[in-house]
Parts: sequence; C-alpha cells; structure tokens
Amino acid sequence: MAVASQTLTTRWSSLRAWLARAWHPYRPVPLLGWLAAILVAVVIERAIGAPVARALGMSRVPALFGFIIMLKKPELLFSALLYVSLIYLLPIALVARFTVRPANRIAGELIGYSLTASFLIHLSVLYAALFLWSGENDYRELVAKLAMIAVITTLSLNVVNGYMGEFSCSHPGFMALGAYAASVITILLFVDDNLLGEALLPPELGPFMFPISLIIGGVVAAAGALMVAIPSFRTRGDYLAIISLAFMFIVKSLFENLEVFGGPRGLANQPDYASLTTIFLWTIASIWVINNFVRSTMGKALNAVRDGEMAADAMTVNTRRTKMTAFLFAAFWAGVAGGLLAHVIRYINPDTFGIRRLAEVLAMVYLGGLNAVAGSIVGGVGFVIMSEALRPLEILKWIMIPVLLILLMIFRPTGLIAFREFEPEKFLRPKVESNDQGKHPPQPVQAVGDRP
Amino acid sequence: MALLQVDDMTHYFGGLRAVHNYSLQIEPGELRGLIGPNGAGKTTIFNLITGRYTPTEGEIRLDGTSLIGLKPYEIASLGLGRTFQNLRLWRHMTVLEHVKMARYSRLSYGLSGALFNTRKRREQEQDTAEEASRLLKRVGADQYADQVVTSLPYGAQRRVELARALAIEPKVLFLDEPTAGMNPEELRQIMEIIRAIHADLGLAIFLIEHRMRFVMELCEIIQTLDFGEVIAEGTPDEIRNDERVIDAYLGKDIEI
Amino acid sequence: MGFFFQQFANALQLGSFYALIALGYSMVYGVLMIFNFAHGDIFMVGAYIGFFVATAILGLGIFEIVALPTGAMLAIVLLLTIVIAMILNAFVGMTVERIGYRPLRQAPRASAAITGLMIGIILETGNLWLLGATRLSFPELIQTSTITIGGVNLTNKKIFIVLLSIALMLALHAFIRRTKWGRAMRAMAYDFAVVPLMGVSINRIALLTFALGSALAAAAGIFFGIAYPVLDPYMGIRLGWKAFVAAILGGRGSIIGAGLAGFLLGFIEIFVAAIFPSTMRDLISFGIILIILTFRPHGFFGEPYSAQLRL
Repeated sequence: MAVASQTLTTRWSSLRAWLARAWHPYRPVPLLGWLAAILVAVVIERAIGAPVARALGMSRVPALFGFIIMLKKPELLFSALLYVSLIYLLPIALVARFTVRPANRIAGELIGYSLTASFLIHLSVLYAALFLWSGENDYRELVAKLAMIAVITTLSLNVVNGYMGEFSCSHPGFMALGAYAASVITILLFVDDNLLGEALLPPELGPFMFPISLIIGGVVAAAGALMVAIPSFRTRGDYLAIISLAFMFIVKSLFENLEVFGGPRGLANQPDYASLTTIFLWTIASIWVINNFVRSTMGKALNAVRDGEMAADAMTVNTRRTKMTAFLFAAFWAGVAGGLLAHVIRYINPDTFGIRRLAEVLAMVYLGGLNAVAGSIVGGVGFVIMSEALRPLEILKWIMIPVLLILLMIFRPTGLIAFREFEPEKFLRPKVESNDQGKHPPQPVQAVGDRP
Repeated sequence: MALLQVDDMTHYFGGLRAVHNYSLQIEPGELRGLIGPNGAGKTTIFNLITGRYTPTEGEIRLDGTSLIGLKPYEIASLGLGRTFQNLRLWRHMTVLEHVKMARYSRLSYGLSGALFNTRKRREQEQDTAEEASRLLKRVGADQYADQVVTSLPYGAQRRVELARALAIEPKVLFLDEPTAGMNPEELRQIMEIIRAIHADLGLAIFLIEHRMRFVMELCEIIQTLDFGEVIAEGTPDEIRNDERVIDAYLGKDIEI
Repeated sequence: MGFFFQQFANALQLGSFYALIALGYSMVYGVLMIFNFAHGDIFMVGAYIGFFVATAILGLGIFEIVALPTGAMLAIVLLLTIVIAMILNAFVGMTVERIGYRPLRQAPRASAAITGLMIGIILETGNLWLLGATRLSFPELIQTSTITIGGVNLTNKKIFIVLLSIALMLALHAFIRRTKWGRAMRAMAYDFAVVPLMGVSINRIALLTFALGSALAAAAGIFFGIAYPVLDPYMGIRLGWKAFVAAILGGRGSIIGAGLAGFLLGFIEIFVAAIFPSTMRDLISFGIILIILTFRPHGFFGEPYSAQLRL
C-alpha cells in the first residue's frame, strides 16, 4: 500500500516537473507577446477556420471554443478539441514562443516611450483580436457584448459588496433605472415609436447622443441610490441589505405602473447603437476609472471603513461621505451597464431586473472574487461563458449554476481572485529572460501610484 | 488657555453616570498619564474627548476650538490623534497603506483625481507615501511597509498603529494602553519610541496605562481616576504616595 | 361600512399568509442570524406537497367504502393534508438547512444569503422541470358556504384560514415560551455561544428552527391553495419577498412582531388596492414599509442591533 502511494506521489511530482519544463520557454513571454499570438490565431481562424472545421466533421466553426458542443453535440467533442488545438493552441504557442525577443524589445521600448502609449498599443491589439474573433458570427458578437457588460456590472457591484463590505441587493434596480432612462432618451429622439412618438432628431446624431444617454442613465441610477443610502447609512448592520431589497421591488413596481414607459409590457425597439466597439470602450473606461478609484487613498478609505470604521473615523476619514460617494459611484456604473444591456438585447421590461437578475449579478461578483478588479473581470466573463456553455442543458442550467455557486460558497466563499490589487502597468513591462542576471527593468519608486 | 482644555465634563449613559466633573489641561509638549482601576472610565474619557460620544455636560476645547458636537474625523483633523487599546488595524491593508490613510484629510485631489489619476493625485499620493515611509522609519517598522498588517508580530503592529496616529500630524496624541500585551523587550522599545517622538516632534501626549512603572517613568503629570472622577493629580512622586490612590487600588494587582 | 368589513376580512386572510411565512423568516433570522432567502420557495414547495398529499388521499378511494357525508369526509382529508404536508415540509426545510446552511455556519454571512437565493432557484427550476409549466389546480377541500353578517359576505374558507392561522401562531408562541426547545431557541437568539453550554447542540436547534418555519409555510401554502386554487412555481417569489420585508418590519427574531407585521402588510395591500389602481399595490406597500424602516430600522419589536455582514 505504501509502495503504491509512493509511486503515485513520484508520478505526480514527475508530472509537475514535466509541466514546469514544458512551460519554461513561455515564462519570458510578455503580455504583448500573448496578445499578438492570440491575434494571429484569430486571423488564422478567420482565414481557414471554416474549411478546417468542415474537414473535421463540423458544419461550422465552433462558436465558443467547443464549450457548447461539449453538451449539445458530444459526438463532435473530439473534433472540437482538435480544432481548438490546431487553430488556437498551436498558433498561440508557436507565435508566443518564437516572438519572445522582439515582443520584449517592443514592450520595453513602448514603456520607455510612454506608459499611455504602451496601454494604447496593448489595448488596440486586444481590441483587434476581439473584433475579429466576434466577427465570425452574430452569436459570438452577442456573447462578447454580454461578457463585457457583465464585467462593468460585476465591477460596480464589487465596489459595494467587496470593497465596502456591505450586502446590497439594489443593483438590478440601478440597472433598471439606467436601462429605462437611456432607452427612453434614444427611442424618444431617434425612433418612430408607438409609445413615445416620432423621432425628434436626425439619425446621424444617434451615435453621439448614445454616450450622453448612457451617462444620464447612470446619473438617474445614482439619484436612485440616494434613496437607499440616506436611510441605511445612518445605521450599521443588515439594514442596507433589507432597504436595498425593498428598493429593488419598488423600482420594479414603479416601471410596471408607468404606462408611459410601457408598463409591464416594457420597452422595445431601442436603436442599435451598442456596437462592439462602443461597449469595448465603455468597459475599458469602467475598468480604468474604477481601478483608479479603489487604488487611491480615497478608495482605500472604503476598505478602512469596512474593516474598522472606528479607526477610520479617528484617522480623519469622513466615513459617511466615503460610503455615500462609493455607493453612488457604483450605482452610476450599474446604470451605464443597464443602458448598454438595453441596447444590446433591445427589449426591456420590469421583469428583466428582478430577483433572477439579482442572483446573477451576486453570482458574478462572488464567483470572480471580492475586492479585486481582476476578480470581477474573471467573474463577469466567466459567468457569461459558463451560462452560454450550459445553455444546451436548457432548464437544467438553472439547477447546475446554483449548485456550482453553492459549492463555491462552501469551499471558496470570497471567490476565485479576491483582495488583490490590479496593477495593469506591471503587465506592460517586458519580462526578464530567466537566465539573464542583472538585467532588470526599472521598478516604480513607491508601492502605489503609477508614474509615466 | 491650554492646548487641550476640558472643563467639568460629565457624562451619563442612560441613568448611569460614567464620568463626573472631569477636567484636564494639557499644554503643548506635555507628557501626561491617566491611571485608575478597571472600569474607572478612562477609555470613556478618551472616547468622549475624541468625539465618539458627546458629553452630557462640559466643554472641550482644542487650541481654542470647541470640540463638542463635532464628529470624530473632524476632531482628528483638528489635530487630536489616538491609538486604540485593542489595535484597530485594517485586516487587508498593508502597513504603508495604514499610515497613508491617516493623511486622508490632507488630500485635496478630490473625486476627479481619484477617478482619472490626475497628476495632482499622483503627486499627492507620492508625497503621502514618502511621508508615511518616514514615519514608519521613525517607529522602526519601515521594513514591513508592503506587508499586510496581520502578518506582523504584535509589537510591530503596535508600532504601525503609532505611526498611523502620528500621520495625522497631531498636536495632541492620545495613547490607549500602548503597552497592552507586550513582553518586557517590546515594552522597553515602545517606551523609547514614545520618548523619541515626544522629544523630536514636541507633541503633547496623553496616555492611559495599567503598568504603573511605565507611567511613573514616562509621564510628567498623572491623573488618577476612580468611578469616573479624578481623585488625584500630580507628579509621579506625589501620586505614588497619595493615600487616595493607594486606597483605590487596594486589593488590586499592581506593581509600583 | 359593509365594504370596510368585507375588506377587513380579506385583509385578515391575506395577512394570515404573510404572517405565517414571515414567522419562518423571523425565527431563522433571530436564532441563526441569517436571512433564509429560500423560504419563499419553501412555502411554494409546501403548497405543492399539500396538493400531492390531498390528491393522493382523495385518490385512495376509501370513501367509496366508508360512507360519510362529503363535508365530513373532506374535513378529514383536509386535516390529514395539513398535518402530513407540514411534517413533510419540515423535512424539506431541515434538508435545506443541513445541506445549504450548516456548512456555512462559520462562513461570512453573505455566503448564506447567496446560498439561500441559489437554493430558491433550484427549487423553482426543479418544480418547473418535474412538473412542467402548467399550473396545478388545488383540490377543493372545503365546500364553500357563505355566511352573511350585517351585509358582509364571509366564506367559511376565509374564517377557517384566519382562525387556523391564528391558532398555529399561538401554538408556536406557546412552544417557544414553554418548552425546553423553545427556551433554547430564545437563548440562541440572544447569544449564540450560550446554547452548547446548556447542553443543547446548535445543529439541533438550527434544524428545529427550520422545521418549524417550514411547517408553518406549508400550512400557509395549503391555505393559499384553498383560497386561490391555482398553484405555479413562482408563487413563492410573489408572496415570499413581501413576507420577508414584513418580518424585518416586525423586528429581529420577534414572533409577535412578525405576525403583526404580516397582518399589517395584508391590511396595507387590501386597502391600498381598494383605493388605488391594483397595479400600484406593490409600489405603495413597499414604499410604506421603506418609509417605516427608514425611521425605525429595527422594526416594531426589535432591538437596535449592529452587526455587519462581515467578510
């Protein structure tokens, strides 16, 4: 018996050693290298993906890396895996491996030139890859859009539930306010609608008004947040949970009763302004702004209030203003996400933002990880992909997802990536070759606060 | 008028009188102590002056400004710093972030700076970080700057707490049992640190302590509290020999 | 005047449902300090269990053998249904506690809240999956007869529901006040750590709390089926959340408070619907509750309590 377990242990460690050796050439690959590799893979897919898929016995390119095929057409699973290996894994591995030197050089030069330029180049490559990948079919585009909106939503809820440590149930309400506000503005101005009348402005102005309508949606959501914050921040405890829950139902009922906004039947025919590019820009903006906020001392004050309000008080922190600001700020972004969502699915009604939505957004935050921007990105994207991958299960999807969440709560209650700082500027640096001694890229002077 | 002036402060918790006719004058640079048996009301007095409770009666003035009715963070901003008996540190934050946090009220970059990472914010955060580093060095805890505070040994945590309170740039510093839970070596270190900051920074210090020897060695003037009232006030020698003080502690475990 | 008493009777009935469900929320919150967000769906499960038990008993066909007047026969079926469904649903509740909440006893309380939501979804989806989307018709267990007093029509159903609900609430109250287990529950509500020192296991009390709440929810479900014979998987959501907010209004852990608040909610809803368009019912009910909670966050009978959902 002891011999058997020893063989197991040695087998496991030799496996790990093999994996470490296999990974070794990839350790010096900078982010730029990975992004470029992904871009190449995506280009390859667009060029020869369809014929390769057909050759492997699939009628079309697998929409979501084979995740859906896994459950919908399990007989094609092997083909899908082969496809993914040939079109994605292989090109990515090759390009990443063999462009290490130029990638590191370029990354270094970009950083040396300007941090902002480096960010822009990296984002452009990422955008190009995303754009090409989702251009393959409408479904991919929808998934990409929903995933990005989920990131915004998750980030905004994380500010309250993670960084501030409260339990807020009002996010669907904020999303509803933003969704309706933005929809009403765009439909009123640009669409001939039964309910809201003829279009008031020429359609060319549409894409310009869209950001404004989203911002207005966010502001409306923030105003709604006051209704929750003012009563509940005077007291400690579970009151925010309860009052925010009541708020969510009030908003739902409000829209059910406002016939001018469609009542229970809702609003449809939102103009198609939520393009992939628009949503991408808003998502990047939200990540940037929210990350800036939580890394500042003003943002850390939120953690101080969460972990020791009395001490925060004694250290000159205006705790009430800190909480209020963060809460309204989070509500704003929830409103923006709601507005974007409304223009992607192009139909909203009061039910869109009820208890089911609450369960989803909570799941995304707690799945991804509390108090971590990276966690929210992972949680938002991961949840959307998981939700899509489980779609073939139909109704059973809504048994599987809750079960997974419960297991998560039991075994990893703070989520996958929790309490970590998101420092994107560190990803932009070229990586040192592991055998190269004494050749270190310049380190920033202080722990927090990026400098150009 | 003294730097910190408390006149006839009385406080009731419901029907219970916790503090009675308490008065205090602290001049700039004084090192004062507050002793008394358990439950005498020492921490309550701290909490009253620092704004956690509003006294039922009485007046408190810091540098002439009345503190009555002000919120704790406002009082802290006016220059009254404090540490806590049970070390209220922030579990998930690093040592440096703790000390930086106390500079909150001095940051003027506002929401726009926080959201958009303006130059003003970067500069102010940089300055704050440098100032925090200096303070950590002063208390001998700068080697821990980037560690999460819960991973530190207890003595180091106490010093971080001290640095945090100092970051307010207080005129008066309240220390609530700064030696609680310390072994003799840590005790010696903290005494040196307190002496050093008192000498170098010239701030007034007011501390609550149970360890008599510590108070006697450190403080210039000592108040003794019993049942919410001051029963004796004077130099260490005077207090040591005061009948009433000995009476109050009779039967209790003390080391003189 | 007659109109007023008519609505009064309706309000009592509606309030009975809210009160019975609210009790479950309140007990769990008081004793275990968690929000059981699955409770509304446990009420739904109780109603469905009642349906199946009643249908099964009626289908047994004993009554072709034993000759009884239909009224008495139905009364026996009704009684059996209530008792059996309450017991079965108590087991459902205990299972939920055992699987979902006990592993999280030491975890941050937010985890329990989310788990509750998830369990609720599982129950709803399970129902939808097993029984399909068609609504079920609760068998008629009481033959309707109407009494008219002073211009007000009272059905025997309404009287039965209200009286039996109050009886159950009083029984619960007596249980909590007088029995050893009830005392343990009250002790745990004050101080979690005390209970093991009393020689009683926390796990047992937790199971008991859930069992009691779920049993009452089953009763509420059956009464609901008697009053409004159509069942659907989402009935728990509609009633449950309002009952939850009513429980909070009543005050943490206060049985009387939860009961009274439940009835109050029933009154608010019925009278609001009588005056305003019925679609505004939810809006105004929640709005009133929100306003009350703003000024009295700990509810009618609760003590100001501070504990944050800690990470």
